[in-house]
Amino acid sequence: MSNKPEGAARVGIGGPVGSGKTALVEQVIPRFARRGTRLAVITNDLVTKEDAERLKRSGLIDPERVVAVEAGACPHTVIREDPTLNLDAAEMLELKFSPLDLVLLESGGDNLASTFSLELVDYWMFVIDVAGGGDIPRKRGPGVLQSDLLIINKSDLAPHVGVDLEQMIAEAEAVRGGKPVIVTNCRTGEGVDSIIDHVARDVLFDT
Amino acid sequence: MGDSSFPSGGFAFSCGLETLKADGIVCDRSGVEAFARSQLRWRWATADRPFLHRAAAASDVVELAGLDCEVEVMTLARELREGSRRAGRSLLRAHGSMETPGVSAYRSAMADGNALGHLPVAQGVVWKGMGMAIDEIEAVSAYAVAAGIAQAAVRLALLGPLDAQSMLSALREDMEALLVEEPPERPFAFTPAAEIAVMRHERGDARLFAN
Repeated sequence: MSNKPEGAARVGIGGPVGSGKTALVEQVIPRFARRGTRLAVITNDLVTKEDAERLKRSGLIDPERVVAVEAGACPHTVIREDPTLNLDAAEMLELKFSPLDLVLLESGGDNLASTFSLELVDYWMFVIDVAGGGDIPRKRGPGVLQSDLLIINKSDLAPHVGVDLEQMIAEAEAVRGGKPVIVTNCRTGEGVDSIIDHVARDVLFDT
Repeated sequence: MGDSSFPSGGFAFSCGLETLKADGIVCDRSGVEAFARSQLRWRWATADRPFLHRAAAASDVVELAGLDCEVEVMTLARELREGSRRAGRSLLRAHGSMETPGVSAYRSAMADGNALGHLPVAQGVVWKGMGMAIDEIEAVSAYAVAAGIAQAAVRLALLGPLDAQSMLSALREDMEALLVEEPPERPFAFTPAAEIAVMRHERGDARLFAN
């Protein structure tokens, strides 16, 4: 049961290291801005503030709206067993930038076992990439199975890493029982519009 | 209440241990144990403990706000100050959703900008609200310091989990001795190596922890 008061929706973005989470956030921010969605971002870098700094320097969003939360070497704990520090950061952002429509929470340093607590977020997506292996969906990690949206990124790399993309997508859809799977190239932005549509419809209730 | 699975954000704070390790000052169990002893003896017993007492005995939110101000001005290192407030807020949030008595008034004062939610004050409020006696409150608070250091040390690969438990056993004697002493009338803390480490942590490159 969520006892989150009325306020910004919270959407988590998880997934293995290097799968393209930060690139996805960079693609998503301007699209939400064009829709007039009032946004802030929390990052959970493992060691450095690099993800937060990259977003702050990008010019895509007011740097004050990007906050880094350290995880004490526990990237799963800070989004799952004990998300209080992320909840605190989200609350501080909402107080500072009210009214806010959406807080994006980018997890960091993860592997396939990471999942977001529904006490922390309303909705979450899991980003894997083609170069991480075509067999990842078959391995049925909790992130692949339980996320609201599964994103298969770096679609352009499939031929170079010997991955049959159509098969990977089919297996992902099968293990997820039909829950959405979206294929993207977060460097070019291909596929990202579809992610925005899902979030707008399922989280912001605004189509 | 001292269970490490209680969600209160404590796992992200090393109170200087991360930097002491990076600087080569603490590199093994004996170093961690010495660090833990100094934190218990010269920070917890002398600063946190008096504030715990006063918070648990406070009759209103105005008093609590006053205690917060004292902790704020006494805590020189920025990441310790901010860490105390973040950890306090997290503890209060968890107890707020459990509807622990005394918490919502304090949290309202914080939302209005009239109180800060520093950790020792927050601990006094929430555990008093849970109906704990002051000696229990003190014991849980001291244990949380020791266990937090042990867990951070394991994650910093300074010692293994079994060694950490053995260390906690050894620290029990220190905690028991501290708990029977009279707390000082006026709070003070003196852990210069740790505080300098926390200050240096602000500019450190590799930061697993928030302090």
